[in-house]
Amino acid sequence: MIKLQMSNQIDQKTNETNSIAANGDVCIPISASEQIEICFARGWTDGLPVVPANRSLVNAMLDACGLHADDVVATMPSRKVAVTAEKVAINAVMAGCKPEYMPVVVAAVKGLAVPEFVLHHVASGLSGASIMVIVNGPIAKKLGINSSNNIFGPGVRANATIGRTLRLILLHCLRYTPGVSDRAVMGNPGKYTCCIAEHEEDHPWKPWHVEQGFKPTDSTVTLIAVTSMMQIWNDVGHEQLMKCFGDALSFLGSIAIVEQTPGTIILCGEHAQMLRASGWSKDRIREQIVAHSGRTIAELKRAGRVDGEITAADENAVHFAMDAAERLMLICAGSRVGTLSTVIPGWSMENGAGRTPPILIQER
Amino acid sequence: MLEKAGIPTVPVITDEFTSTAREMADLWGVPEFRFVTMPHPLSNLSTAELEQRANELVDKVIELLQTGQPE
Repeated sequence: MIKLQMSNQIDQKTNETNSIAANGDVCIPISASEQIEICFARGWTDGLPVVPANRSLVNAMLDACGLHADDVVATMPSRKVAVTAEKVAINAVMAGCKPEYMPVVVAAVKGLAVPEFVLHHVASGLSGASIMVIVNGPIAKKLGINSSNNIFGPGVRANATIGRTLRLILLHCLRYTPGVSDRAVMGNPGKYTCCIAEHEEDHPWKPWHVEQGFKPTDSTVTLIAVTSMMQIWNDVGHEQLMKCFGDALSFLGSIAIVEQTPGTIILCGEHAQMLRASGWSKDRIREQIVAHSGRTIAELKRAGRVDGEITAADENAVHFAMDAAERLMLICAGSRVGTLSTVIPGWSMENGAGRTPPILIQER
Repeated sequence: MLEKAGIPTVPVITDEFTSTAREMADLWGVPEFRFVTMPHPLSNLSTAELEQRANELVDKVIELLQTGQPE
């Protein structure tokens, strides 16, 4: 039997002589570009070229996180799938990860299986959420995960490939095939990859994972489902900024506003500085933002978001975008220069889904 | 899951979701699982239109309940 053999290095030139495998198969080495085309032909892709995985690259990934190939990283009952460490490693290779990224990837895959995240809704639903990976703790600096300039943009391998691995696992292992089991109406570009680190150096408060009970020396991954991202410009003052954030959380067409699904705000450096200078506590800031996220029932009825005839009382009855201010997630990241933060309203009608607690990254 | 718990089940979907429902049935090891389908969309129908839609489906639902899902 003649089999195609993936070469050990993707830049390795095709050998002129064939080799014979231990089982007698005649193996014909093929070029890197041919290997990539084979992956495309088999559907092993997110639409971009993948790094063809071979045994040595996969083993290097497994070694870096101290897992055996058959170790189960996450079980997904809704998809009838147990994702093994080998599958995670293969997809990490394909996404272009360095082996040292594996502990972060493994923690993120565990996050997919957290029941309250409700992965099936996130990954299959019409709202087409991306899954944002937020990394906290010392590992972010160690791996060079970007927490600053152009935070959602291109250019940094760790961010690009860690986020991409998660999507490849959704496509290849969990079979969230676009148009079949992923029924996103629009989707969003973050579905290719979306991974950031929190900027912890000049944080006005405790970093996210410390606020949630972890030690500053711990490293964690938190997943959130993201549909809309809005940039908020304000260089005037913290009180005005609260109004702008509240407005962005409560736009009338928001899928989250009626059921009050909690949102997230990614604070840029200058806004974090502005809030630090205000002397307000994190809790007070959350309360102020949510206090500015109100819409009258009359507005919601006029927009068709709430059913029924408009009554006189509806003109003064206020509905807030979130039912509990403490659930507003505040993350510091993005450039330290410029007054532009990002508001991410709640992602769906399912209040409480689409968010994991921080998950501890276990390093070797 | 309801069928496995012994509760007769008739899933009703809009026709646009047939491929998605079929994929789920395959994944759950019941590729012959049967669905009642109706035209898409559903969410913008008025109450009266919904009642009309339900009336049109009743016979199909009863038929599937009587024949049952494949073992």
